[in-house]
Amino acid sequence: MRAMVLKEFRELRRDKRTLAMLIGLPLMLLIIFGFAANFTVDTLEVAVAGSDADQVEQLVASNPQAEDELDIVATEPGEGEAWARDQLADDHADLAVVTGDGLADDSGGTPLVLIDGSNLFAAQAANVVVAGLGDQVDHEVLYNPDLTTSWVMVPALIGLILTFIGTLITSIGLVRERESGTLEQLAVMPFSSTAVILGKITPYFLLACVDMVIVTVLGMWVFDVPFNGSVVAFVLGAGIFLFAVLGIGVLISTVSQNTGQAVQVAMMTLLPQVLLSGMIFPLDAMAAGVRWIGYLFPLTWFTKISQGVMLRDASWEYLALPLGILVVMACVFFGLAVLRLRRSISPARSHTPQVEGAADGVEAR
Amino acid sequence: MSRTTETDGGATGTTGSTGHTGSSGDSRSKTLIDARDVSKKFGEFTAVDGMSLDVGAGEIVGLLGANGAGKTTLLRMILGLEAATSGAISVLGTSTARADRTALGYVPQGLGLYTSLTLDQNVEFVADAFGVTDIPPLPAALAAVRTRQVASIGLGRQRQLAFHCALLHAPRLLVLDEPTSGVDPLARARLWDTIHAQADAGVGVLVTTHYMQEAEQCTRLAIMSHGRPVARGTTAEITASHEAVVVHADDWSRAFAALGEAGLPVMLAGRTSRVAGTTIEDVDAALDAAAVPARTETVPATLEETMVLVERAARQAG
Repeated sequence: MRAMVLKEFRELRRDKRTLAMLIGLPLMLLIIFGFAANFTVDTLEVAVAGSDADQVEQLVASNPQAEDELDIVATEPGEGEAWARDQLADDHADLAVVTGDGLADDSGGTPLVLIDGSNLFAAQAANVVVAGLGDQVDHEVLYNPDLTTSWVMVPALIGLILTFIGTLITSIGLVRERESGTLEQLAVMPFSSTAVILGKITPYFLLACVDMVIVTVLGMWVFDVPFNGSVVAFVLGAGIFLFAVLGIGVLISTVSQNTGQAVQVAMMTLLPQVLLSGMIFPLDAMAAGVRWIGYLFPLTWFTKISQGVMLRDASWEYLALPLGILVVMACVFFGLAVLRLRRSISPARSHTPQVEGAADGVEAR
Repeated sequence: MSRTTETDGGATGTTGSTGHTGSSGDSRSKTLIDARDVSKKFGEFTAVDGMSLDVGAGEIVGLLGANGAGKTTLLRMILGLEAATSGAISVLGTSTARADRTALGYVPQGLGLYTSLTLDQNVEFVADAFGVTDIPPLPAALAAVRTRQVASIGLGRQRQLAFHCALLHAPRLLVLDEPTSGVDPLARARLWDTIHAQADAGVGVLVTTHYMQEAEQCTRLAIMSHGRPVARGTTAEITASHEAVVVHADDWSRAFAALGEAGLPVMLAGRTSRVAGTTIEDVDAALDAAAVPARTETVPATLEETMVLVERAARQAG
C-alpha cells in the first residue's frame, strides 16, 4: 500500500492542474463564502420623488437607524410615480418613495413606496422596513409581486445554461478533436483555419440557441416567469454573451491536452461564475473586492440583461452598459481564442515563431 | 558515419543517379517534397537538426530512426503542422503553407478517424471536405461493416479505412506516419500492396516505419538519429559500406555465448551468429580465446545491422 500512496503523491506532484485545484479551490471557496455568501442586504438604495421628497430625505437623515439602512441615491421633487418606476426598472434603486403632488390624484395623499421585486433579497429587506411604517405608507412590489424565487432564477439560469454549453461542451468537443488526432488531420485538409474554427463552433452556437429558447419558454410556461421587455434586446444580449462564453470554451481547449483537463479548467471557471455573478448571492451584499471579481465574468452582465429585460422591461439606456461590456468581453475572448486556435491548427501559416506549441510537439513524438 | 552535408543535398534525388540538383524547372515539377537543411527547436531542445529530404513522383521514400529520432516532427513540418525553426521546405512545388492540400493524402499515426461515427460517415466527411463526388467503393472487408462505428472495428480495418480516406481524392503525394504499427502481417502486406500500387500510379510516398522488411520495400531511405541525418540512399547504397561477420559453428550456442562474453555486438540468425561492425580478426580472436571451433566469413551487413551501426556511430560522434 505504501507504494501506491507514494506513487499517487508523485503523480499528483506532476499534475499541476489538480494541484492548483487542490490549493486554489479551497482558497476560492473560502473567499467566496467568507466575503460573498451573504443573503442579507444591509443598505437599500432609495429614490424619492414628489413635492415632499426633501422632507423624506431630512427624515431619513435625522434617524440614525434609517440612515444606516437607507441610502438615498436620487431626490427629484419635480418628478412623479412614472419617474420612480423608471428608477426601479433601470435598477438605479431598490425602492422608490413617491410623495405629495408626485402621487396619482386618487391616492388620497398617502406616500407610496415602490419595491423592486426582481432584486429578491433587497425586496425582502424593503418589505421589513415598509411593514415597520404601518399605515403611514401604501406600498407595491413591482415586477415580482409574490417575490417568487423562480422568477429571478430562471433568467439567470438561461445564462448559466449558455455558459455551460459555451464553455464546457465546446471545450470538450474541441479537445476531443485534438486528443484523437483529427484536428491535425483537419489542418492538412483543404479547409481554411477560419472554416475549421467556424465549422466547429457553429453547431454549439446553434445548440445553445435552441437550449436558450427551450429554457426561456419552459420557464415562462412552468413557472409563469413574465417576459416584459424587448425580445430583440434579449436575443442580442444572449448572442453577444454566447460569443464571449464560446470564446472562453475555445480558449480552454487550447490550453488543454485532453478531455479531463478541459473539464477541470472549465469547472474552475464555471464555479466562481455561478457563485459571484449575482445569480445566487446578491452583488450588493458582497464585499467590494469580491464584487469586482464578479464584474469580470460575462454571466454577471448577462444576468443583468436577462433579469432586466424579462422582469423589469429595462430601458436601452440601462442595457447599454451590460451590452457594451459583453461586446468587449466577446471581442477579447473570442478574438484570443480564434488567434490561438488558428496558430495551433496551422503554425506554418502564421508568421510569428512558435513558443507555446513546444510542449505539444515534444509529446507528439 | 558522418553527417550528410549540404553538398549532397539533392544528389540522391529521384531513382536515377543523374545527380540533379532539384532546382531546375523540369525536376521541380516531379519533386513533390523538397526539404533543405530543416531544423526544429523546442526551447533548448533540438528535435530536428539539419535534415534534408526529397520525394519524387512514383517514389516510396522511407524515413527511419529510433523512437524520438525526430521523424514525426519532420513529417509535421512538411505538412505545415509545425513551423520549422530554420531551413526551407517546399511541398508540391510551393511553401507548405500554400501547398495544394487537395493533392495531399495523410495518414497520421493516430489515424485521424472519427471513431464515434460510422465508416460511411467518415468517408462522407472526407469526400465532402475534398469535394469528391465520385466516391470509390469501400474495400470488401470494410463494406461489410460500413454502418458500424469506427471504434467498434479492429485496428487493421481502421488502418485500411484511414488509407481509403487518404486516397479518396487521388492525391499526388501520400504521407504515412507508421502506417502499419499494430497491424498483423497479412494486413500489413495488404497495406503495402496499396502503397506500391499508388507509387506505380505516380504518387510520391513518404513513409516512416520501424519494420526493416518494410524499409527494404522503399525506393530510397533516409535514416535519422537524434534529429540528425545519418544515412540516405537506396538500401543497397546504405548497407554497402557496412559489413558483418557470420559465424558458423557446430556448437552455435557456445559460439554465441563466447562472442557475447567478449563484449561483441552479436546477434543470432537461425543457427549462425552475426557480428556487425567488428573485424573478422577480432571475432576469430574471441572464438579462439574461448576455444570454440568455428568458420567465419565477412558478408554485407543487413539493413537492421546498418541501422544499429550508424546509430552507434552517430552517438559516438555526438
